[in-house]
Amino acid sequence: MVFLGLSFVAQINYDSWRRYSPPKLLGVDYNVYIEPQPLSPSLAKAVSFGSTEFLADYYWLTLIQYYGGGTPYGKYRKLAELFSLVTDLSPKFQQAYQTGLIILPGEGFPDQAITLGEKGKKNLPDSWEMPYYTGLVHHIYKKDYVSAAKEFQIAATKKDAPPITQYFAGIYYKEADQRQLAYQIFKTVHDTTKDDFVRERSGKQMVHLEMTFFLEDAVAKYHQRFGRYPSILQELVFKQIIKEVPISPLGINFVIDPQNGKVSESRK
Amino acid sequence: MRKVLWAITLNTFRETLRDKLLYSLVGFAVLVIAASLLAGSVSLGQDARVIQDFSLTAMLVFLLIITYFIGTQLVFKEVERKTIYLVLSKPVSRETFYLGKFLGLCLTILVAGLIMAVMFVIVLFAKTHSVPTAAYFAAGAVILEAWLLTAVSLLFSSFTSPLSSAIYTFGVTLIGHGSATVWLLSQKASPVIRGILEGVYYLFPNLEKFNLRNDVVFNLTPSASQVGLILLYFASYTVFLLILGVAVFRKDEF
Repeated sequence: MVFLGLSFVAQINYDSWRRYSPPKLLGVDYNVYIEPQPLSPSLAKAVSFGSTEFLADYYWLTLIQYYGGGTPYGKYRKLAELFSLVTDLSPKFQQAYQTGLIILPGEGFPDQAITLGEKGKKNLPDSWEMPYYTGLVHHIYKKDYVSAAKEFQIAATKKDAPPITQYFAGIYYKEADQRQLAYQIFKTVHDTTKDDFVRERSGKQMVHLEMTFFLEDAVAKYHQRFGRYPSILQELVFKQIIKEVPISPLGINFVIDPQNGKVSESRK
Repeated sequence: MRKVLWAITLNTFRETLRDKLLYSLVGFAVLVIAASLLAGSVSLGQDARVIQDFSLTAMLVFLLIITYFIGTQLVFKEVERKTIYLVLSKPVSRETFYLGKFLGLCLTILVAGLIMAVMFVIVLFAKTHSVPTAAYFAAGAVILEAWLLTAVSLLFSSFTSPLSSAIYTFGVTLIGHGSATVWLLSQKASPVIRGILEGVYYLFPNLEKFNLRNDVVFNLTPSASQVGLILLYFASYTVFLLILGVAVFRKDEF
């Protein structure tokens, strides 16, 4: 009983030392923080006794605890490595790819997220989610609309892909100024989709792009006649090249760049 | 002979049941399987996956520990206590004695494996309301692997001490599960090294053949031909080990 009491006292003292004393290791409070140290994929496979899925689960749980626990370094330095290791050990672990593609870019690892997405596309060739999520990374974090559109086009070819996927591909091509391609995609979506909402939105996008092409033709005629580009689109009406500036069914105003005559959407 | 074999088998089974180590190992395995429920609850919706992987791995690890620590002592204990003289002085051949020891421990492993498997199925069913067919095959393959390694441990224990025998059996387990790596290495090596590595690949038991655990999360049920090949491999390799073990045991002088 005396020794039990002694161990109780020691435990209480130890706990209070851990909680309230300020020991620091390299500027980090080691009492509350231990960064995971994942093994290399080949070493992890070698020591797994063939239970690679089990080890993948172990690192998956470690990853969740790590991400949920916060980091005193200001950056989850081991996050990308952990996602890579989990998917190396379990190449068909879809949830791991999806979670990685969602959280890695926001934590400062957009390139590693794209690499993870590429690995996911290779290992899960039937999944529409892999190219879809990779496309979102290209769009949101890299502002690379052409790559995003390509990913969405790939996603749209997969079984069970939502009908809107192809529509998004069109949107991204439009954002990337690849309007003819975008128009063809919207047309295909409009003619083939069974989803009413997607058909209606694609139809509006088609009309919007047809209006853009119409205005650019008119601008070209204006340039031919006057040797310069109009400073505002209403000039096309004043010079009787068109009857009126069309109103986009998307509710977006058209504007012209007087330097090169390019018609685009108003960002206001 | 059959009666004698059955008697030794049952006696070995009873003997292992008296071993407290067995109870603590099975108890701990059941606890780990139950604890996989907790691990699953913090896995972002991957409960089924975590329960399956943790439970099957726990089954493998604990059955192998039983093999290492109980299997390697069976013959040694008989020699140490000198009870082997009593048995062999009766009309019991060394072959029957050896085979009886093997079958007795296999029976113990089967019972321990079934207890763990039942716990695994209960936990998985409680959480997901379904148990994939692949899980039964994987659990069965774990038991087969433990049986094969029992034959390995018995072979080693017939000519060396229990500790050395456990270490050697562990080494065979490592090589057996690294067989794919050995094969890959052999394909990149020079002709001589390649021959040696290919020899290692074919000589040592290829335990990855019994590894159906990684397929369970994707519910990939093995085909009939795959199961047939696994059984054929198990039967032929185990018989080879038993013949080898009996040959060594016959020459032993107590």
